[in-house]
Amino acid sequence: MPTTGHRARTAPGGRRSIWSLPASLEVGPLIADLAKAFQVQPEKDLTRVRKWFDTHDWRLYRRKLLLFQEQCQWHLIHRDSEEQATAFSGGKCEQYRYSWDFPVSRMRVLLEPVLSIRSLLPLATLQTISRCRRILNRDGKTIALVYFDDHETRETGARFSTVTLKGMRGYDSGFKEVSGFFAAYGMGNEVAPYAPFEQGVRSTGRTPLDYSSKFRAKLQPQMTARQAMALIYRQLLETMERNEQGIIHDLDSEFLHDFRVAVRRTRSGLGLVRDVLPRAVLERAKKDFSRLGSITGATRDLDVYLLDREKYLARLPEKLRPHLDSFFTDMAGRRDKEQRRLSAYLRSPEYRKLIGHWHAYLHGLDQGDETPNSVRPVMELAREIICRRYTKVMKRGKAINDASPDEELHRLRIQCKKLRYAMEFFASLFPAAEIKRAVKQLKKLQDNLGSFNDLSVQQDMLRSYLAGLRPGSRKNQDLATAIGGLLTNLHHEQQEVRRHFDAASQHFSSEKNLLLYRNMFT
Amino acid sequence: MAVIAVYNIKGGVGKTATAVNLSYLSAREGRKTLLCDMDPQGSSTFYFRIRPDRKFNTKKLLKGGKHIDQSIRGTDFPWLDLLPADFSYRNIDIALDDMKKSRQRISRVLKPLRREYQNIFIDCPPNITLLSENIFYAADHILVPLIPTTLSHLSLQQLYRFLEEIGESRSKVMVFFSMVEKRKKMHWELMRQLIKKKGVLPALIPYLADIEKMGLYRQPVGAALPQSPAALAYVDLWREISKRMEKS
Repeated sequence: MPTTGHRARTAPGGRRSIWSLPASLEVGPLIADLAKAFQVQPEKDLTRVRKWFDTHDWRLYRRKLLLFQEQCQWHLIHRDSEEQATAFSGGKCEQYRYSWDFPVSRMRVLLEPVLSIRSLLPLATLQTISRCRRILNRDGKTIALVYFDDHETRETGARFSTVTLKGMRGYDSGFKEVSGFFAAYGMGNEVAPYAPFEQGVRSTGRTPLDYSSKFRAKLQPQMTARQAMALIYRQLLETMERNEQGIIHDLDSEFLHDFRVAVRRTRSGLGLVRDVLPRAVLERAKKDFSRLGSITGATRDLDVYLLDREKYLARLPEKLRPHLDSFFTDMAGRRDKEQRRLSAYLRSPEYRKLIGHWHAYLHGLDQGDETPNSVRPVMELAREIICRRYTKVMKRGKAINDASPDEELHRLRIQCKKLRYAMEFFASLFPAAEIKRAVKQLKKLQDNLGSFNDLSVQQDMLRSYLAGLRPGSRKNQDLATAIGGLLTNLHHEQQEVRRHFDAASQHFSSEKNLLLYRNMFT
Repeated sequence: MAVIAVYNIKGGVGKTATAVNLSYLSAREGRKTLLCDMDPQGSSTFYFRIRPDRKFNTKKLLKGGKHIDQSIRGTDFPWLDLLPADFSYRNIDIALDDMKKSRQRISRVLKPLRREYQNIFIDCPPNITLLSENIFYAADHILVPLIPTTLSHLSLQQLYRFLEEIGESRSKVMVFFSMVEKRKKMHWELMRQLIKKKGVLPALIPYLADIEKMGLYRQPVGAALPQSPAALAYVDLWREISKRMEKS
């Protein structure tokens, strides 16, 4: 009878059922009873240790993928079937952070589009002791496999046991018999094949899909404005808190990005939704969040330049590209310095106090004195605010013509942003499909204005960098040539974007959109 | 992805042992592998402790598609499936003869399976018939176990002539020596003559009791006795074949 080939876990073919072992059952007697009911052949016990990875925002899990490292080999598997998508072994036991850290391989090709710029984080290490029993027929042929697996999460010591029944192709009746035996034994409901992974991750304090950079506050129309805003601010604060460690340990640039978006949203809320918080609370929060915005700005700006490196290079003829090397080295150096400063700040008592104060207010029982808008129904206030923002956008938009200075476009961009945030805050109060359409229409206009602004900021930065370059050295001359080339290219593109503004603006203020906004918000 | 037919006109040369052990090794590398037992005696089927599906027969084999899917059985080894033989295969030529494009039938039946499996082994019955012609047409490689004797040599030449007659390339053929007895001088003599020829593999399978005993323990030698000389001989042979398959 076979004694080898005990790796049937990922082999496809037959059916499979998995149960989590109920606390009321013990494995020992269960195995003994199974051996009484069937002809059973034990296999050698196996121990395996798997370290599981995903990004902070579960990009693999969302695509129904799971990634683990076992004995220096990386495996990417399909979450539901456990079938392998690809495996990679680089020889050395390296822990890769980004998809591009993997040597060129199918693994890298599959990971790159999913992970994008996010890094892989170790989630949990699961040690599994697997006891396999083969179920044989009268010919001694295996007709089903049963695995009794004890999983232990190394980080927390949490334990979890599963029983897996795997059928063989062409032996369905055997599968059904054993399955019936387990049902009669009180095994309960089946669990997903990735249940051990989920249990392990849960024991370390995380839950799949527990983080997303998307903002989704579930408001009720009957809430008061203060209740609603407190809920929104709480959610934004939570986003910030969940990204702190990632920024401090510099895990990838998206932690800071998400943190800053939450800060910006909060600031926007404080400005847009007036007379809802007690005056003293509002004043302090405004000051604090403005500080958070400025203290995190430098690192983010530098992150953006570094992330766009390839795009910058593509704007230049090939010969000039190497001249930019020193520029990016310089940027990377500055970025590291800024990042260290930021990291130190986030660990400082000053920051802890700032956040602690805001946290205490939002979660406290005493939300302070009433203000003019605090007890108004949120629905009413939401309509009022969105309407006001919409009118402003329309007014400014119409005033812009080909002769308007760039400054005007910049102001319109800010107005659009405010409208966008206002709509997102209160999105849950309106019909989902319509709000989605309204945001989509606004986004088209914002994309145009955003590109225009980015191009202008980039040119400003390059010009001031150029001004700071010491003349004389050959290297700096070459660098200046390359930057000059970049400036020209950016300028042309900016003009191009401006030419498209009219179309974008007219599209946004079309009759159809007008009706869409009017119907929803007035 | 390849279809490998294990074939010899003569019986008792170690065809089934070869098909069973090589398909096992292919699957052990993680390649999804199918072994088609086309010999009505069903020895490969027996070696894997599988009983053929009572509803399966020649007619269903030649129809292909879901009729075959339903009859494929998982072996005790990961990645290795088997299509059991049926006794009705003994009359398969009559059924083939009645069909249009009777030479390409097996090839057509295997087509969907080529997508599912990375390697397909065919354990062929020992004769030269319309079925053999079908298999030669469908196969990417024809693997011939050869006992180094004069008669075996003659049968090999018959095979080459037959291939020429039906317009199949000789380059599909890979020959290796099977059931070699080191103390027999004639075996050495013949091997020395043939080894330099094209398509003859240097790896050989000696005559070993462990291989004969497969009928008792009913599993590949690599699974039953992984460190035995027999198991290691098949590992060498499979390595040699994989190398050649990669080249072609």
